[in-house]
Amino acid sequence: MSVANELLLGDAVAMAQAVRSGGCSATELVSASLHHIGRSDAQVNAFTAVLTTRALARAAQIDHQRDSMATLPLLGVPFAVKNLFDVAGLATLAGSKIEREAPPARADALLVQRLEAAGAVLVGALNMDEYAYGFTTENSHEGACHNPHDLTRIAGGSSGGSGAAVAAGQVPITLGSDTNGSIRVPASLCGVLGLKPTFGRLPRSGSYPFVSSLDHLGPLARSVRDLALSYDLMQGPEAWGPQRDPGCAQRAVEAVTPLLGRGATGLRIGVLGGHFQANAQPQALAALSQVARALDAHEQVELPLVEAGRAAAFLITNAEGGALHLDDLRRRAGDFEPLSRDRFLAGALLPAAWVARAQRVRHAYAQAAARLFERFDVLLAPATPTAATPIGCEWLDIGGQRHPLRPHMGVLTQPISCIGLPVVAVPVWAPGHHLPLGVQVIAAPWREDLALRVAAELETRGVIDARLAPQEPLFS
Amino acid sequence: MTPDQIEAYVDATASALDLHLAPAHRVGVLRYFALAAQFAEVVHAVHLDATTEPSMAFVPVAPVRHTDGGGLS
Repeated sequence: MSVANELLLGDAVAMAQAVRSGGCSATELVSASLHHIGRSDAQVNAFTAVLTTRALARAAQIDHQRDSMATLPLLGVPFAVKNLFDVAGLATLAGSKIEREAPPARADALLVQRLEAAGAVLVGALNMDEYAYGFTTENSHEGACHNPHDLTRIAGGSSGGSGAAVAAGQVPITLGSDTNGSIRVPASLCGVLGLKPTFGRLPRSGSYPFVSSLDHLGPLARSVRDLALSYDLMQGPEAWGPQRDPGCAQRAVEAVTPLLGRGATGLRIGVLGGHFQANAQPQALAALSQVARALDAHEQVELPLVEAGRAAAFLITNAEGGALHLDDLRRRAGDFEPLSRDRFLAGALLPAAWVARAQRVRHAYAQAAARLFERFDVLLAPATPTAATPIGCEWLDIGGQRHPLRPHMGVLTQPISCIGLPVVAVPVWAPGHHLPLGVQVIAAPWREDLALRVAAELETRGVIDARLAPQEPLFS
Repeated sequence: MTPDQIEAYVDATASALDLHLAPAHRVGVLRYFALAAQFAEVVHAVHLDATTEPSMAFVPVAPVRHTDGGGLS
């Protein structure tokens, strides 16, 4: 196996070190990534665009200027983004058929610019649920994204391509978006790490919106240090201007990478019960128990108003999403994804009083959660109610109740993003199971450092495992 | 809302918004609207006093360069 192919099995930090030291060129590394995508993506269907020419040109530039660029932390590291991020020269699809008619983006999204400024190399755009309204990435226009750990199953969504590309080893880092769980659900089902930062932490400029009140952007990766480093490199305020993201808090960089070694000792860690236990199958609860036991977290607590918070998130999402697409729903409803079209149509009709009430309940819920964080630094909960389900599955049975699977896959993530809490989804392999399942490590607003410290501790102790999917089935 | 109320509301509002619901879509729209109505009951069951603010705040947008009296500030 070539050095570049061996590096692809590892993480981004190791890749950048190898490029920096001359052990592997950026061109070799990026070529290996492109070759792997070319061989495996017929099975996985994570990518909707592969940027071969652009990526190889950028890699050649890095090799040519390696000495002057040597300090860049992601030197030569290939990465990919959900196709709702602007990529110069490509129409920003957001998973849709309709946006294929849009003019090409004139510039990269801000977060893409920031990662490339740190030496990373964009190699492609990734599959997703249409307009981010879904948890399964069974995209009717592009085809379903397949879970690399079991190709007959879903990768989760809406950032399904972002989870699958990392689990398949096509790239070590991807970017996704999370409105109600769209980073954490695919991270859980694909067995990778996903970070949904605090609402307003990372600027969303140059990304296609879904629900401005709730949209977050963040990274997925296979090691905690990659997750933390990529997050650190994307932090920071935007340049002043009328186009900047009104939902961004414009905070200064608060780097977490230097803090990872502090571990979880001394942190007050609780386990969320109630809603989070009642909506999880036994395997999800087993994964939660594994993590809680390792952290010596025994106290089970209730998140006040959690059901109302989930209801508020549903209504805000439905109404804002429907309103955003009202013109196209009027003119060409038949061009929408059949799996989410009727939800968009219904959302466009919601009474304003419901949505206004939901925004007020959301605030009351956030205040109640803040009181809970006076007693705890970190809270734990399952990320998804179940492991990856077969593609095409319609129903999910939990505790004797039957739920429509597609909206219900986010039942455990939706209440957390509703109030903008930072979360790291960490991958757990419960004994006797052939599929991973994620656990949410949740902190108070602006305390991504605590969630990442806990994730790092779990990784060091081998409690979590973002293993690569078996490679051979991907090439058959 | 009762199923009849939902049907009447959906048809009237869609018409007012000039949003044509194809027969094949209408069934799903009614189902999802009913789901939203259930969630609306949940948020309306939460006691709020009049001072409970909504969670989103408007951020005024200042010009990049602002002329103030005799010069740029």
